[in-house]
Amino acid sequence: MMSADTMLKRAAPVLACIGLLAVWQLASLALHNDSFPTAIEAIRAIPSILSDKDSLVNFGASLRRMAVGFGVAVAVSIPLGLSMGRSRAVASFFNPLLMVIYPVPKAALMPIIMLWLGVGDIAKTLVIFLGVSLPVIYHSFEGAKAVEEKMLWSGAAMGLTAAQRLIRIVLPAALPEILTGCRTGLVLALITMITSEMIARQSGAGNILFNALDMGQYDTVFAMIIIVGAMGICLDALFERIRARLVRWSEPQFDIPLSFS
Amino acid sequence: MPARDAGMTILPSRSELRPERATAQKTAAAMIEIEGVSQVFQTSTRQEHLALSDISMSVADGAFVSILGPSGCGKSTLLYIVGGFVQPTRGVARMKGRAITGPGPDRGPVFQEFALFPWKSVLGNVMYGPRQQGTKPVEAEAQARALLEMVGLKGFEEFYPKELSGGMKQRVALARTLAYHPEVLLMDEPFGALDAHTRTRLQNDLLNIWERDRKTVLFVTHSVEEAVFLSDKVVMMTRSPGRIRQIVDIDLPRPRRRTELLLDPRYQKYVVEIDRMFDDSGEQPP
Repeated sequence: MMSADTMLKRAAPVLACIGLLAVWQLASLALHNDSFPTAIEAIRAIPSILSDKDSLVNFGASLRRMAVGFGVAVAVSIPLGLSMGRSRAVASFFNPLLMVIYPVPKAALMPIIMLWLGVGDIAKTLVIFLGVSLPVIYHSFEGAKAVEEKMLWSGAAMGLTAAQRLIRIVLPAALPEILTGCRTGLVLALITMITSEMIARQSGAGNILFNALDMGQYDTVFAMIIIVGAMGICLDALFERIRARLVRWSEPQFDIPLSFS
Repeated sequence: MPARDAGMTILPSRSELRPERATAQKTAAAMIEIEGVSQVFQTSTRQEHLALSDISMSVADGAFVSILGPSGCGKSTLLYIVGGFVQPTRGVARMKGRAITGPGPDRGPVFQEFALFPWKSVLGNVMYGPRQQGTKPVEAEAQARALLEMVGLKGFEEFYPKELSGGMKQRVALARTLAYHPEVLLMDEPFGALDAHTRTRLQNDLLNIWERDRKTVLFVTHSVEEAVFLSDKVVMMTRSPGRIRQIVDIDLPRPRRRTELLLDPRYQKYVVEIDRMFDDSGEQPP
């Protein structure tokens, strides 16, 4: 039996969504503007997008680029961030480079990247990679820096070499922080994915959205926003589930989860 | 209050108490020798701070030796040098005659901060060292369970460190270190973060465990009572820069029981006299 409390907890996200849609519906009816369809009109446009083979191919291409960009970024950034956190030499070598890249909007690099690499998969994946890398590097760095020295000493006394300590002590000890970075990175991957497709209009979910905008199909535009938004929510919730499972050992007992999962 | 000059015969005269020179004391039984060790730290203001000054001492095989001193006297640093975690600025530390150049499983540390692996269960923590040394999982687990029972943690094998109290964490840390059979235990104020009651219980248990197999122990503390209760020998240190002030042999029978010892005038005299020696130098008893 579910208690009233857990039932309310489960229902909260759904209620929030319904509330948001209701406000939208009322605002749209009140404003009565062609470029602002009602929530119901937008939702009605969703099935036709999702049943269209072309748009599914586009979604597939988007998700593929996002997965590759995110995966490569995580695979490169975690070892880099951890090494920076444990070695002053590595940190001072990469720090200036990262500090220069950090404040630059990654989408602003898109024109240059397109010029060099074309408008295809490589350019867009690279932008996603850049967007995801920095938060993951930063959080891995902070996580590695915070690892208690005595914990490493304990490992050293057991005979772990420096490399083993990095993989078997620093990595697990910093995992909660690393995964926080990955979660931010995942949302950034979605953002840079759409942005890159807005700029290099060739394929993908962002391309459908902006083509619809050009043609004045506002219900499709809003339907796409709902779809992309829902995608983000689902990915984040899925990731949060995996994260919570991996770092159960570090969670405080009474935690307020900030997720839909 | 015992009279100043009467009844102090248990302590050797001052000339006999000068710091032992390791070179003069080199015997086959010495497990650890520290020879002319000094440690200089760079402070954040770029000044040099002398933490340890010309320390020489030796620890016999199977002895329980405490390093006692006020906070900031460098006693933990000395332990870290023996552990191989810190390299001395000058001098050398040896283990069984070989210069110590880094950490190794022959010297097992137990820290005040516990330093458990929080992502591992209690059992996983205790199995970690033996697994690293290639012990088969089944065997490592059986040994770990036996050790946990010995330190009084049967039934907590699947708990994570965050779910344990401070005293329980330190029991796990002790079991984790004992699990890989170091020849020397290096204990860095292991009970310093615990409340008085837990501290007393852990001292009793440590003594019981130690009296079974008499491993060599180097034990850092700032509690006079703790040092006298546990040790064969107490190395008294001065405030910074840390120097050896005196080495006091604690000639009390073993096995020791707290209830008997607290009533024993010899125990009381050691405590009072060591306290007084700290007083004489204007240094508060730690």
